[in-house]
Amino acid sequence: MANERNYYTVDPEGKLQCMKCGIPLVKGKAKFMYLDNGFPVELPVCPRCGFVYVPEELALGKVASVERALEDK
Amino acid sequence: MQIEERGSTHVYKVNRISKEEIDTMVERCVYEDPPFCNAACPLKLDTRTMLGAVAEGNLKKALQIYEKAAVFPLILSMGCEAPCEEKCRLCEKGDGIAIRAVEAAVARFGPVSRQDSIFRTKKKKSVAILGSGLFPLFLAGEVEKKAYPLTVFCEQPDLDGFLRCETGFLDSDAFAQELKRLEEKDITFVFNCEFTEAFLEKQRTAFDVLCVSQEVLDGLAPGCAFDSDLMICRETCLVSCREKGVMAAAFGAKKAALTVDRLVQNLDPSSNRGKEGAVASRLYTDLSEASALSRTPVPEGGYTAQSAIEEAGRCIQCHCEECMKSCSYLRHYRKFPGLLAKEIYNNTQIIMGDHQLNKPMNACSLCGQCTVVCPNGFDMAHVCHLARQNMVSTDKMPLAPHEFALLDMLFSNGDAFLSRPQPGFEKCRYVFFPGCQAAAIAPETVKAAYEDLCERLDGGVALMLGCCGAICDWAGRIELEAQTTEFLARELSKLGDPVIIAGCPTCKKELQEHHALQVRGIWDVLLKIGLPEEAHGLDRPVALHDSCGARGDAHTQQAIRKLAQQLGCDLVETPYAQDRSPCCGYGGLSAYANREVAKEMTEQCLARSEAPYLSYCMACRDRFARQGRESRHVLELVYGTDAGTPPDISEKRYNRLTLKKELLQEIWQEEPMESKLDFQLEYTPQARESMDERMILTDDVVAVLTDYRLTKEAVLDEENNLLIARKRIGNATFWVKFTKTGENSYLVHSAYSHRMQVVRRNG
Repeated sequence: MANERNYYTVDPEGKLQCMKCGIPLVKGKAKFMYLDNGFPVELPVCPRCGFVYVPEELALGKVASVERALEDK
Repeated sequence: MQIEERGSTHVYKVNRISKEEIDTMVERCVYEDPPFCNAACPLKLDTRTMLGAVAEGNLKKALQIYEKAAVFPLILSMGCEAPCEEKCRLCEKGDGIAIRAVEAAVARFGPVSRQDSIFRTKKKKSVAILGSGLFPLFLAGEVEKKAYPLTVFCEQPDLDGFLRCETGFLDSDAFAQELKRLEEKDITFVFNCEFTEAFLEKQRTAFDVLCVSQEVLDGLAPGCAFDSDLMICRETCLVSCREKGVMAAAFGAKKAALTVDRLVQNLDPSSNRGKEGAVASRLYTDLSEASALSRTPVPEGGYTAQSAIEEAGRCIQCHCEECMKSCSYLRHYRKFPGLLAKEIYNNTQIIMGDHQLNKPMNACSLCGQCTVVCPNGFDMAHVCHLARQNMVSTDKMPLAPHEFALLDMLFSNGDAFLSRPQPGFEKCRYVFFPGCQAAAIAPETVKAAYEDLCERLDGGVALMLGCCGAICDWAGRIELEAQTTEFLARELSKLGDPVIIAGCPTCKKELQEHHALQVRGIWDVLLKIGLPEEAHGLDRPVALHDSCGARGDAHTQQAIRKLAQQLGCDLVETPYAQDRSPCCGYGGLSAYANREVAKEMTEQCLARSEAPYLSYCMACRDRFARQGRESRHVLELVYGTDAGTPPDISEKRYNRLTLKKELLQEIWQEEPMESKLDFQLEYTPQARESMDERMILTDDVVAVLTDYRLTKEAVLDEENNLLIARKRIGNATFWVKFTKTGENSYLVHSAYSHRMQVVRRNG
């Protein structure tokens, strides 16, 4: 679907490599899940083994603040 | 044992706080009770706010407030009996505020706000007032304020004559001012009237409600029954007043205006009137700091604006803020406990959407200081504790605020747990229970204390390193608390159900509550057997901080003082000592649920004295030291040890494990099973610091790296050449950024975590 909603997008810009598969991570579809809520996002993903990378800035920023908000639901 | 995240469907079966219980509790908070001057005023004048405005020099605002109670402010201020003045709390220490004289100055000098009556939409029903005097005058003001089309019929030939009736006490200036005020009101006057029965009947058909002066009522319906609460003669359906005097007329007019309201709506005049007139107040006022106790003399002709400002400046603005003064938690949320308790109740029982009070209810240290300082014993801790239990029971409590502490407790009673009788004894007379924080923060002190007790007490002293259960109690986890109690009871029974020697006042309290065994504080034992040789106090004065775990335990508080004295300590007593002592920020798991509030609590504790702090709870010792203050536990002075710089969260775990290992080797000659890591880890100082901040343990990092070595799953960030691996542990995913420094060695640059689960999705 062309118009599918993504809450957040992180583009690896070719700077990240999957150590197991030896190939670059690409922008791929992923989903964050917490306390019965799901958020479709686009994150750096290994096209072969499916490793999904969550960068530090994202984990400590947006992810943390959404966690706090959901905990109060 | 695993602690699970809250469920997806909330169960509403457990109710731990009833509405009645919360209402009774909320009732105790007198913050919203009116100040005594206000309560004594039948007109409900907001005297405190008015005096506050005058003190600020804002006479315009003051007059607006005064006009809400007094439609003709000069007449009221010059004629009222001022029941407020004798109720002023300053009377107990000196002169009460000259409220009436201040009011008169406000009425005389306050700039009048523009009247907007012409632009108001008038009501449809009409009212007539027959007669003259104070009551008809005040009533005219009140009825006009309510926007009824109003006609006043009077015997006098003009407005001047109408106003002059019963207002002889006004001087000419005041009279002129009030005449102007009357002229500006939207009232139709009919002069030179003669009140006959025919006249009355005629007006009855022309108006919806008729009000009359006492004279008119006596003339037209002599001896009729009169209800002076509702200001009505029901027989004739005439609204009137039977009492004379300025205050009686003003109060009568207020009541009569309400009756008019009810009558035009065809309601019973007694319905929905609320509390009228003067009321009793339970407000508590701290007079200890009241100064300026002499009244500004009132010259003949009354105060000038300046002297009124001066006199109003003496008002102490009675508020009950005893809890707010002492508790940084309540101050942080800027809500008096009655309101906060109500909101927390609604948060747990009623609100279905956002639970904005989760954080406040988890931030309370449950220390009980508010109950001691509150003149009515308001117990915020009870409210927050019950609310937490309720949230857990109904499966609504998120795990995040308490998970780290709960896992730490499971660690204390799991990997780090140790329970052994003294060598040579199968059952012991005593068991030393130092508490989880003592083992984590000052392991050397624990060791020294245990060795000393073994040496000097008869009958055998067992050792139990573990958590008393306070952590799960504070987290509101009743089931986990019961399991902990059962576990400890089993272990204690193996030791022969000995007398417990607690090293921590919170453990003492918790163990006393849940175990039918004798529990003593180590301080009591030391007072009895005497101090060891190495015991000595500091060579400079120390401020004694009472632990919140010892609140209500005067015996322990005194024993500590005696012990400190024997140590040769020069004790500095602080404000808010003993039962009034604040919490260091560790209690109630505040430090885990809301660091900001916990930090404010620590700062408040330290603000009481510049001296080094002496405490008898290891958590207090730790928090004060973290805040940069020299801080010692009384046992460190007893055993000549120094726990030094506070350990970080990983070191606290390491200390507990190491203490257990060393004691097993040295005292019980047991060689503990140890799993050696087959790789080496080093940390950059920044990594270590941020891990403490982010509550990430070295154990978590080890788990991630172990997993990486097995799976080789990691990402290489080519920008900085860092490897990044991850592992889901329990309810969180941990990420570690590292570099390889050798075949089997790594340098950790950073670690972070998130609770959200992340998965790939298709399509």
